[in-house]
Amino acid sequence: MNNVFDTRRFFLLFRKTVLERPMQLIGFTVLMLSIVFIIYAFFKSMGAIPEGQNASFMFGFAGGGCFLGAIIFGYFNTNAKGAAYLLLPASQFEKWLVSVLITGVFYTLIFLLFYRLMDSFFVDAYHKKLDPKSIYYTELRDEMQILPFDGFVFKTTLMMYLNFTGATMLGALFFNKASFLKVALIFCGLLFFSYFLNIIVAKMMMSGVQNAMPYLWTWIRINDAEGRIEMNTVVLNVWQYCAFILVPFILWVLAFVRLREKEF
Amino acid sequence: MIKLENVSFGYSPRKLLYKGLTMNLDQGKVYGLLGRNGAGKSTLLKNLSGMLFPMLGKIIINGNEPRKREPNFLHNIYFIPEEVYVPALTINRYVSLFAPFYPRFNRDQFNKYLADLEVETTGKLSKLSFGQQKKFIIAFGLACNTAVLLLDEPTNGLDIPSKKQFRKLIAGIMDGDRTIIISTHQIRDLDNLIDQVIIIDDGKLLLNAPVTEIGEKLMFKTVQFFAETSGSLYTEETIRGISVVVSNSKMESTKVDLEHLFNAVTENPERIKAMF
Repeated sequence: MNNVFDTRRFFLLFRKTVLERPMQLIGFTVLMLSIVFIIYAFFKSMGAIPEGQNASFMFGFAGGGCFLGAIIFGYFNTNAKGAAYLLLPASQFEKWLVSVLITGVFYTLIFLLFYRLMDSFFVDAYHKKLDPKSIYYTELRDEMQILPFDGFVFKTTLMMYLNFTGATMLGALFFNKASFLKVALIFCGLLFFSYFLNIIVAKMMMSGVQNAMPYLWTWIRINDAEGRIEMNTVVLNVWQYCAFILVPFILWVLAFVRLREKEF
Repeated sequence: MIKLENVSFGYSPRKLLYKGLTMNLDQGKVYGLLGRNGAGKSTLLKNLSGMLFPMLGKIIINGNEPRKREPNFLHNIYFIPEEVYVPALTINRYVSLFAPFYPRFNRDQFNKYLADLEVETTGKLSKLSFGQQKKFIIAFGLACNTAVLLLDEPTNGLDIPSKKQFRKLIAGIMDGDRTIIISTHQIRDLDNLIDQVIIIDDGKLLLNAPVTEIGEKLMFKTVQFFAETSGSLYTEETIRGISVVVSNSKMESTKVDLEHLFNAVTENPERIKAMF
């Protein structure tokens, strides 16, 4: 028997993981999709489709992903549950891979598919309501399009999803109880720390600094004029590489390392 | 075969629960692991199962290192913790999801154990009482037919008939290939069940001896006068007289009283060490 990966065992583990807690995994996914639908519909009823698109997408993708990340390894809130999980005869790699597949692949695919269908439905309904004879018809129609999966919102949300989900998965393996809250607190702490550190450094290096957002731009005022200094392209590329690839990779792989070394 | 070589473990490096613990446990025996509250009985079982890792030393179980938690090792060991976990599933669904991980799981045996332990088989497991859930997990663990079975306080939460049934089941499943380790502070629950006694106290192994050897070397009797207790390892006043544990110099055959043995060993570790 292969002690690292066995296809049959992996399939059994996947089936067991989903069906053992159907309410937590399937129920959670259904709940998230329902909330996303409600958020979108609420904004649409207020006549704010673009805001609805962004809010529902960010909440469903980044928020749902990181909640699921905490749930998928949420076996360690009781002794008995933790023992049953750690001692189930499957390899640590298989256990990690099942969690990554459910959180990183299946949830993403289900969410994106659902979102695209919902978005198309709402945008199409909006387009149908427009009066083709109106002089603003073309302008109004072109203004409201489905959320592109290569735009700024998608990329930013993807970056948040990759980082937050990795962090909550790792956090669930470090903190046995209330891991999601603890990870959220640490994340907020880091965010505030980097924000204020960034401002302090910016003020030490430049005068007239109004605001500085780590690590993208600095807003400065010289006499009566205000303007934004943006990070140069090379540094921006490095930052994006870290935010999109390096940090998520480290977080997701660390979850595997932590699972291997987990004592309970 | 279970081998512990110089195992040290503690939840903090400054306060070790075990220091240099060395012992061998053979196949085909039921071991009773006895110790005070907080002595580390559950911790030792967790080390054996691979849930905790020794700080120093090595544990080898049938050629595997538990800390690696490899499937080859895990499908041959079943650990029943003091508090059990059952998901909100029916028995059939539980078996269909969990049993395939244990190659020697036997459904017929499982059904028999459920019946013997009088476990309710309808409805979801999570709706059962704690005692019923525990009996279900015991039945499942026994039916997995693993080479090593670790039970942490298995009789906690069981009613009197179930305790009796549990002892009967354990006695019934024993064969030459199995090793069963039962940790408990309810010593009387292990009467007539264990082959070998392990007593740990203050991080040290005080006794690891077969019950037959203990019966040969120690005598458990009740006397009427204190004058008869000189040289005893342990005395306790009871309604019927004074229970004593003494050296069995006359090679008399008496029944081993585990509770008195435990007290005798923890109160006289050096004398016991010299005898065994």
